[in-house]
Amino acid sequence: MAKKLELKFENQDGKVVTYTLDNPVEPVDAIAVQTAMDEIITQNAFTSSGGDLVAKKSARIVERNVLDIELV
Amino acid sequence: MATANMTNSTLRLVFNEGVDAISGKEVFKTKSFSNVKTVATADQLYAISILLEPLQQRSLFKIERNDSSELRQA
Repeated sequence: MAKKLELKFENQDGKVVTYTLDNPVEPVDAIAVQTAMDEIITQNAFTSSGGDLVAKKSARIVERNVLDIELV
Repeated sequence: MATANMTNSTLRLVFNEGVDAISGKEVFKTKSFSNVKTVATADQLYAISILLEPLQQRSLFKIERNDSSELRQA
C-alpha cells in the first residue's frame, strides 16, 4: 500500500512540523534522510505558523493499509 | 508607480511518474512545500530540493517556485 516518508521538525514554538514525501526509497538511507533534514534547517528557507524550524524531531516511513468493507 | 510586495511563496517539486498507458502522454506528480519564506533564495530552495529527490523513487523533472505578490500604489 501507499507508503510515505515523514520528516518531522520542531519549530520555535516547540510544535512539530511534518513534511511528507510519497514513494520513499527502501531500504531507507538514514544518512541521506538526516542530510536532507539538516540542509532544511541550515538553509532556513521554510517557515511555519510557529516560527522557523529549529531542530530535527524524527523521521519515519508510514504505511497506510485500506480494507474496503462490502456493504450489503 | 506601484510596488509589488511578495506575500506568499511555494516550492513545487515536479516528478516524472512515467507514461500513461492509454494516452501515451507523460504523467507528472507534484509535491508542494508551502510556507517558503519570501526571502528564501533560489540557491537555498535548490539545495534542499536536490537532497529531497534521492529520498523517494521518482525522478525529479523540474523544480518550480510559485510566488504571490500584492500590488499597491506606491
